[in-house]
Amino acid sequence: MNSLLEQIHLLAPLALGIIAVWMLLPREGARPWILASLCGLSAVLWLTKNFLPPAEDWVQTGMFYAFAAGAVLSGVMMITESNPVYAALWFAMVTLSVCGLFLINAAPFLAAATVVVYAGAIVVTFLFVIMLAQQGGATGYDRKAFQPTLASIAGFMLLACLLFTLQEWGGKAVVVEGEEPKTPRPQFVLPPAHMVTNPLSHPMPRSDRPDQNDLGTLQGVGRSLFGDYLFAVELAGTVLLIATIGAIALSPRRSQGTL
Amino acid sequence: MEWLQNPLIMAGVAIGIALGGILTTCAYLILLERKLSAWMQDRLGPNRVGPMGLLQPLADGAKLMLKEDVIPGHVNKFLFVLGPAISVFTTMLAFAVVPFGPVSHEKGQFPFVIAPGVDLGIVFIFAVTSLAVYSIILGGWASNNKYSALGSLRASAQVVSYEIPLGMSVVGLALLHSSMSLEKILINQAEMGFLGWNIWYQPVACLIFFTAALAESNRLPFDLTECEQELVGGFHTEYSAMKWAMFFLGEYTHVITISFLTSVLFFGGWHFPFIAEAASAYPGAWVVKVGVLLFKVSCMIVLIQMLRWTIPRFRFDQLMSLAWKGLIPMATVNVLIVMCVLEFNLPRLWLLPLSLLLFVGVGLIGTQASLPASGAVRRKKPVGPIVAAAHH
Repeated sequence: MNSLLEQIHLLAPLALGIIAVWMLLPREGARPWILASLCGLSAVLWLTKNFLPPAEDWVQTGMFYAFAAGAVLSGVMMITESNPVYAALWFAMVTLSVCGLFLINAAPFLAAATVVVYAGAIVVTFLFVIMLAQQGGATGYDRKAFQPTLASIAGFMLLACLLFTLQEWGGKAVVVEGEEPKTPRPQFVLPPAHMVTNPLSHPMPRSDRPDQNDLGTLQGVGRSLFGDYLFAVELAGTVLLIATIGAIALSPRRSQGTL
Repeated sequence: MEWLQNPLIMAGVAIGIALGGILTTCAYLILLERKLSAWMQDRLGPNRVGPMGLLQPLADGAKLMLKEDVIPGHVNKFLFVLGPAISVFTTMLAFAVVPFGPVSHEKGQFPFVIAPGVDLGIVFIFAVTSLAVYSIILGGWASNNKYSALGSLRASAQVVSYEIPLGMSVVGLALLHSSMSLEKILINQAEMGFLGWNIWYQPVACLIFFTAALAESNRLPFDLTECEQELVGGFHTEYSAMKWAMFFLGEYTHVITISFLTSVLFFGGWHFPFIAEAASAYPGAWVVKVGVLLFKVSCMIVLIQMLRWTIPRFRFDQLMSLAWKGLIPMATVNVLIVMCVLEFNLPRLWLLPLSLLLFVGVGLIGTQASLPASGAVRRKKPVGPIVAAAHH
């Protein structure tokens, strides 16, 4: 119980968040918009106390707030929107906002790849399916959320796990052997020691790199993917290949008369 | 001239020149297209406004601006207006990393590219142009019209499919130049001379890139999204006046970007033997370089416009099998060839015969697979479910 109380700065805003999203989920009748947005706003503000990035120049900070607010707002709008076409568009907005966050964190390739894959292909496919399926107008299951209570609790459990881990990454001082942390808060930059020693992911120590300046460049991404994390990348590739084969095996054949 | 050192000044000038150039060119591309089609069909074409019809774009522009801008009552207003805006915005944004002259990184010099030093280069262009499909989807869906919806459905399938060969065709280039940056690929080609142009090493990739990019821009022979005979106007059936024109502004900007990309990636950019080498620094060299690049770009644009009046529109299943059964396997094998040549340290000129061999092989397989025998089997498919569906 004590350990739970220690995490009150996480649990209380999350509980507020659950309430906010639960109130906003689509249902019959009116939804308490104002109360829910107040709850959500206070939850976000409470969380920012612990998860604020180190302040840099005002352009960076302003852009961070713009993209972060866009991502959170679009995310909430996406799950509370009762029109599936709008929900898919809000999902595209979430993706674009998160890509903006990637960009200001010097990961342009990740941003571009996410835009191509998610905003450019997956959401387009969603829209495609929704437009084909929605020709008779909105159906009952669009107007009402299915099990709103369980869904919001489960979603926020996941969020709680993520935030707990993040807090361990950024909040506690990270000590890399033989090197004093240069800034007082080396936040969200270096993984903690037990992550570094994970046999599946061996990021090379910085000093071994041939050139120091490849952080954020395509060469850096390539070297990291096919050097440091080769095992994980190959594993992911194999899983995707199996999934592709499975999808082909599941899909109906022309000879079976469908399509 | 202290104020010239400010990075914002030159970026602003570059944006102004690029935007102004693109908008003017778009207007005159329409005139060129009409003149070309008239020439190919043995007509005269527009010849009333100004000498030889040269002021026709101005008259067209004034007409589009002053026309009544109808928003039908049954549409979703916000998305209806958003559609054309996205179309212009994404295609213009893609031009930000395209070099339109000898790129310079020095402060106070005209950079000849809006955003110099973008390491991503071509990936950025793919990311931005992949968003252009939203304009068609939103425009088609918000119009609340069956023809528009069908057009946008076709568009989404087409654009998502053709993005794959488009992306895979430049992987070979990235391997050869170990960079995705357009500026680096251009300067590498210029330093290697005439035989360094990528077209000698990657002819098949050039063909795939050009085809897929043309399909992305939804122009004939890939314009199934607006297909007049079947869909009235496709996704833009309900649009009028300037909003309709913005869709076409987006399309023509896309054509310009494709032409620039093909010239820069495969035809050496501003490089031309003797007159515009990497080392040439005679006074006015930059004018010649820009001129050479613009000449190559105009050739590509004329080629695209002639294609429009030469090749008839694809059928939808032909369109899909071209992407999935033709271009994607071809692009994959092409990447494999480049990897083999680099891995075994073969001379790079091996890529030319190997690519031609690949092209011939794909052609043979493609023609053999579509012989009437296999088509007859497909046609035996029972039509029962379709008839049954019609009764519901």
